[in-house]
Amino acid sequence: MRRRRFALGVAALVAAAGSLAGASTGQFDQKLSKDRQVLHVLNRLTFGPRPGDVDRVRGLGVEKWIRQQLQPQLIAENPLVDARLRPLATLQLATWQIFETFQPPLQPVLANATVSPQLRLAQLVSAEQLQKLSTGTAEERLATIGSIAPQNLGPVLASLTPKMLEGLPDLQKLAEKARQAETNRQPVVVRSGTMVSLNSLLTPEQRRVTQQGTVDERRALLKSLDAEQRKQVLRMLPPAAVAGLPELQREALAARQPPMFVNQELIDSRMYRALYSNRQLEEVLVDFWLNHFNVFNGKGQGRMLLTSYERDAIRPHVFGRFRDLLLATARHPAMLFYLDNWQSQAPRDEIPGQPAPANARRPGLNENYGRELMELHTLGVDGGYTQDDVIAVARAFTGWTIYDVNRIAEFQFNPAFHDRKEKIVLGHSIPAGGGEQDGIQVIDILARHPSTARFISRKLAQRFVADAPPPSLVDRMAATFTATNGDLRAVVDTMLTSREFLSEGAWQAKLKSPLEMVLSSVRVLGADVTDPTALAQRIADLGQPLYGKAEPTGYSTTRDAWSNSAGFLGRINFAGALAAGQIEGVKVDLAHVPGNGEAAARRLLGTAVSPETLKLLENGAKGTALSPASIAAVVLASPDFQRR
Amino acid sequence: MLTRRSFLSSSAITLVAAGAAPTWLLRAAAQSAQGPQGKTGRKILVAIFQRGAADGLNVVVPFFEPRYYQLRPSIAIQQPGKPNGGLDLDGRFALHPALQPLKTMWDSRQLAIVHSAGSHDPSRSHFDAQDFMECGTPGIKRADGWLNRALTPVAPDSSPVRAIASGAQLPKTLQGSRGAIAVDSLPRFQVADKTTAELLEHLYSTSPDAQLKAQGQATFDAVKLIESIRTRPYTPTAGAQYVGDFGQRLQQIARLIKADVGVEVAFADIGGWDHHSNEAGQLTNQLRQFGSSLAAFTQDLGDRMEDVVLVTMSEFGRTAAENGNAGTDHGHGNVMMVLGGGVRGGRLYGEWPGLEPEQLFERRDLAVTTDFRDVLGELVSGHLGQKVDQVFPGYAPKASLGLLTSG
Repeated sequence: MRRRRFALGVAALVAAAGSLAGASTGQFDQKLSKDRQVLHVLNRLTFGPRPGDVDRVRGLGVEKWIRQQLQPQLIAENPLVDARLRPLATLQLATWQIFETFQPPLQPVLANATVSPQLRLAQLVSAEQLQKLSTGTAEERLATIGSIAPQNLGPVLASLTPKMLEGLPDLQKLAEKARQAETNRQPVVVRSGTMVSLNSLLTPEQRRVTQQGTVDERRALLKSLDAEQRKQVLRMLPPAAVAGLPELQREALAARQPPMFVNQELIDSRMYRALYSNRQLEEVLVDFWLNHFNVFNGKGQGRMLLTSYERDAIRPHVFGRFRDLLLATARHPAMLFYLDNWQSQAPRDEIPGQPAPANARRPGLNENYGRELMELHTLGVDGGYTQDDVIAVARAFTGWTIYDVNRIAEFQFNPAFHDRKEKIVLGHSIPAGGGEQDGIQVIDILARHPSTARFISRKLAQRFVADAPPPSLVDRMAATFTATNGDLRAVVDTMLTSREFLSEGAWQAKLKSPLEMVLSSVRVLGADVTDPTALAQRIADLGQPLYGKAEPTGYSTTRDAWSNSAGFLGRINFAGALAAGQIEGVKVDLAHVPGNGEAAARRLLGTAVSPETLKLLENGAKGTALSPASIAAVVLASPDFQRR
Repeated sequence: MLTRRSFLSSSAITLVAAGAAPTWLLRAAAQSAQGPQGKTGRKILVAIFQRGAADGLNVVVPFFEPRYYQLRPSIAIQQPGKPNGGLDLDGRFALHPALQPLKTMWDSRQLAIVHSAGSHDPSRSHFDAQDFMECGTPGIKRADGWLNRALTPVAPDSSPVRAIASGAQLPKTLQGSRGAIAVDSLPRFQVADKTTAELLEHLYSTSPDAQLKAQGQATFDAVKLIESIRTRPYTPTAGAQYVGDFGQRLQQIARLIKADVGVEVAFADIGGWDHHSNEAGQLTNQLRQFGSSLAAFTQDLGDRMEDVVLVTMSEFGRTAAENGNAGTDHGHGNVMMVLGGGVRGGRLYGEWPGLEPEQLFERRDLAVTTDFRDVLGELVSGHLGQKVDQVFPGYAPKASLGLLTSG
């Protein structure tokens, strides 16, 4: 009994550690058969093979296909991608345009003594008003101040410079009072858009229809309104009023929760690209880097900033230089906001010419970004930095902030926040008296650090090769990283052309994440997706909402995070719903899936199908014939399909 | 002797009817026939992890220390009696005002608090510190967690739901060789298409992938067991008001415990404590959800609480001083709470190290004067009857804290 328990314990421990029965370092030297190679590269470089992909890659040759995928700009894109993305208007907008169009309720801005009056003023008045206050005549300035919203008048008065108050003695007295009141700051909350009551928008009969009407009645009513009126109405109606009206649900979302609408379009675009793009390796890498440089959509303004983040900071650099990618994320308002660097400042009494008012809240350093930049983005937790380095890095980045976070949200360097003393970062001296350049110097130090080369290489190898990637491969990738100064295409090339990648040790070694499981299911069935909302929701239900990871670590790429009972049941039930055509927005045609279990398994799983699976499906389920949908569901839910 | 294999091949209910069922299942079936549950005597330990480093100094407030108010001029909790003041516990410490439900439990001696507790490992990385605490081995990462090791080894008649994580993931705390499952939502914990369920079960039980096979088997076992609970309508005991997602997680655990299906250990986590800026409002909201749900849990379990101990922990605390963005950064010592019928509550445990600069850890954080393994170890041995060195290998607790009335 004890021996059995011991053996059970050891076996389970080994299993829990995530290594497969049989996989050892030796197996990373055993080359995969040609047939297996084809499926293997499709599983790793794409979000799963589509019907016909295996034949295409076999015909082209594995090496040639990998080379192609490394040069996405030379791959003709699937016209379906453009067709699906074009209606998503927010994808092209600059952040300020998104704010302007969608006018979300504003983030309370702590307009207090820690923020420079100029910055605060710029946050409270429009650009035009600021212009008038700075350069207008006394009459113009008086008129401008008169036009300020009452709830902002106090903070605005307190922020006016003496020059702005020249020739306005009454206002000077008021401004003095306002400045004294600054010691009891309240956050200023400016809400946009007034809430109009439904009674003033709809007749009682119309209201009744929205509450109790049938789907057709509600649709007819809402479509009969003009666009602006409908927007107002949708903003006030509860979600139940648009139940069964998918075409209006998005519009309702835009009216009721503009940031969610904006983020939903981004999620849509990620889904469509992952499902249909021919540049699959690029999409997989975008997913990898978005995860590595994680930004959470649920924090404050996150949803409004992510569209630009993905488009401008991540996508352009996935095949470029790591240093450029790192810098782009460091400067992007999405990251500055998410990891709080935008509020990080040198202690007040260290800013020349700005004495602290007696009761002012003492501003200070925020270490969050400094730490995560090293721990998660570059060196890794064992990369050789100390707490002193964390503080030094944080000090270097003081001043890297956001201009007009609620309306424009662009990078701005604010010298008033910057700590100009000398900093020692990982043994490198950043001399006193610097400015924005301090942060850039840190970026360069980190990008060139040998720990970064190893950390990034290991993470890539974990995603693409195995949970415990062979050190020999990681070493060679790190060497490429260093030799090419962080050329990410070269590093990925080293990885994908290595013997370890195309080896038995890597074969079926990875467990699919929820995202990968859902996408590969849809792709292998060749399903037609016209609305990815429900699919994205399924992925979220399985524990991996897109842009929804609160912690800066991003989602795990190893087995242990995803291998559990709740996850398995979720996948099993998803497979069932997908195959039965019950996922909204997804049209599944099972005509090409053989009606026979064993044949279906061979078709859908390819060379990954295990003999055990074939045997069980051959015998069927106690002789009862399963429907094609059930057969497809079983194959997609099978343990074989959970691996890649 | 019934083996796991034969249990796999038929549903739990049929087994009960046939009279050939594991002892725990027979007992459960017998008791549910009897009606409302009394004490069964089986001890249950529930671990709650506050992920993100909760600010212990603002949760259990040392209002007697003038230094506290100097260090936190804008985010300190006011003294009891003042507007928005804390809830006085013992004349020196107070609970955050949003924790009134816990104050009630303190007064009824069900809640014990250990201050300045935590891990001596100096890491301030959320990721690492959580891992170390969940493994129960500061400084060393393992493949399994302390709560998994606190279980008795898997036996043929072990309940498939004896170790539950209430949530979508299985935390490191519960990973290991002794079987544990994650239950995200009881109503959804089933295979929707019954025609394929059995076939899928066979597929998983024969998979060449050892981990998928083990997890799959555990899943299907649990599905069958939970089937009987799931279909019974459930209302929490009158007055128990679970709040938010965290409340849902706890309610799920309570429901499973009350269903008497062999739960021995359970786990839930609650994130959102990493308040680097604008802490005050966020912490209040968090604590409302946290305190209300814990209180609802104890209320819901009622008499059953005699056998249940719940313990809370967080990977580290936060800086003693505020950081100038009205928030705090990563720190060291923190608060652990222990509640339950068998707990010697209404008392503050642990040695208070003070907040003077030389008393702070690295001159910035609340020090750790009680190793978290002392707290957990006492619960594991005194409540569950397990050996501490089996659960926390290489660790010998210093002195006993005296948290349990039995110990």
